[in-house]
Amino acid sequence: MTTVESLGAPVERGPAPVLPIKRILLALLTAVVVVFCVVPFLLVLAISFGRKVEGAAWVWDFTFANYQRFFVGTLWPDEVTFLYLQQLGYSFYFAVIASILAVLTALPFTLLLTRLKRSAQAVWLVFIMASLSLSEVFIVMGWDILLSNNSGLPKLFKETGLTQFLKDIGWFQTLRDWGLANPRNVKFKTSDFATVLTMSYLVWPYAVILLYPALSRLDPSLSEAARTMGAGRWTVTRTVTLPSIRLPLLGTMLLLFVFLLGTYVTITVFAAPNKHTAAVAIYSNIRGANLNAPFGAAQAIMLLISASVCLYLGHLMNRRAEAG
Amino acid sequence: MRLIGQIYMTLSAIVLALPIMVVCGAALNSGRSMFFPPREPTLARFGEFFISEPVWTAALWNSVIVASGAATLAVLMAWPIAYLLWSTGSPLSKVLAGLGSLPFAVPPIVIGVGLGFFWVFTGGLGEVWAGVISHAILLMALPLVTISVGLQSIDRSHLDAAATMGATEEVAFRTVVLPQTLPYTISGFFFVLVLSFNEFIVIFFVSASSYATVTLQIFNSLRNGYTPTMAVAAITFLTVSILVFSAVARWGDLPRLMGADQSRK
Repeated sequence: MTTVESLGAPVERGPAPVLPIKRILLALLTAVVVVFCVVPFLLVLAISFGRKVEGAAWVWDFTFANYQRFFVGTLWPDEVTFLYLQQLGYSFYFAVIASILAVLTALPFTLLLTRLKRSAQAVWLVFIMASLSLSEVFIVMGWDILLSNNSGLPKLFKETGLTQFLKDIGWFQTLRDWGLANPRNVKFKTSDFATVLTMSYLVWPYAVILLYPALSRLDPSLSEAARTMGAGRWTVTRTVTLPSIRLPLLGTMLLLFVFLLGTYVTITVFAAPNKHTAAVAIYSNIRGANLNAPFGAAQAIMLLISASVCLYLGHLMNRRAEAG
Repeated sequence: MRLIGQIYMTLSAIVLALPIMVVCGAALNSGRSMFFPPREPTLARFGEFFISEPVWTAALWNSVIVASGAATLAVLMAWPIAYLLWSTGSPLSKVLAGLGSLPFAVPPIVIGVGLGFFWVFTGGLGEVWAGVISHAILLMALPLVTISVGLQSIDRSHLDAAATMGATEEVAFRTVVLPQTLPYTISGFFFVLVLSFNEFIVIFFVSASSYATVTLQIFNSLRNGYTPTMAVAAITFLTVSILVFSAVARWGDLPRLMGADQSRK
């Protein structure tokens, strides 16, 4: 609050002597928020320009070497490698597929959920929230038991004769081509299928929670009107329901995508080592075997930039959709 | 059509419950390795997790400290920001709310890396109190949202009535604002509690392997293969989550907190 303001407008709230305390508190609050919510990001940015010292940790510096390494490799221009871009690419690949899958399967569920009675909705929400908060490590553990070769699905396939059946009708070869089978039986670890399945499972409850407000505000009278005018159920969904939830749908997909960009445990357990993502590389640089904090920081910044660009594009699309 | 809907919801629930059921079933194994369905079911693993195995009891204790500390701290930081935003709507309050939600909005690994560096310079790396603060920072966005929802639900006419009857801002705050927002504050507290319990990646970076919470301990044990004791941890956490959210649904208004339309019952 500036002097001009306090002169110009009559003071409505509280007696004047309280103000200094309030101001001190406000300043304190601002300081705390800036120190804890902003400084960590600035540190990552600053360290990404640092330099690793062989046999030691790293030193402050201002070099773009880490970013050069990220895009074209250390030996550029003599040699070019896109290894690190490729890792970021895999981050995108898994996150995009998993988030789309999650939103598409959560949409009908949420739509049905909002049509239940309020009390029934609360019960479902408790269930959804409980599975939402369940740690990634527990979820990976569960799917790991379900998908690993000695227990779970592959064993079920074998014991029920499904494996033999697949072999007999010739689909087994297709599964092998997709990397979902070894010569003896189906296998899901490691595979893209298991990775995407677990990742979309991970964010599925989030998808429901994020779609829930928009869907519960849908005006039922609109689709009822369309129905009375003789439109079929599918036509109503396509021409009335879907257009009115297009924006929340897209927004949800983007949020889930950004969340999934940083998935760590699922990737380390289910993805093939040559498809490991930027998140895994960040960890091994900062805490793991490589011990190259500046390069890890540069990778984290690139991940953050990619996430921000995606969010911003989504925002732009929303604005354009609203305008047009 | 109705039937298809019910089948779809049931199917979703089954898939959602499947890995959880498997983990829970595996906890009953008597041997050292995990089988599903369990062999020679026993409850001995529960004893190991809560009482006899120091690795797990220490991890559980750390989890409890970090989660309850972070929940308290997050609510204490979120309250003034939410209140400022609601009562003044000033640009500063909007900036504060935006910055406060930032750690929750970026991919978790980035804020994990950032806080990891932060604690290296401030001497908190590998300390439990740094873990508490880190989780409070990460999850502050949740009470910020629930408290804001609560404040918006206050009928302004109550405040006007209080003012007309001569209540100062402070008295009105104590007698109108606080009681009406209490359920939302508690909901925010519990959301942080549960998510902090289950959070992995940020605590992974800031603990620097010098202490372990339950999720960290489980990740560490993943490499040595599963033991049924890990499944007990999963059951415990799931029970806590269900109890907490049931309580929020019972005493708070879960559909409203999740943003349901108020006019329809």
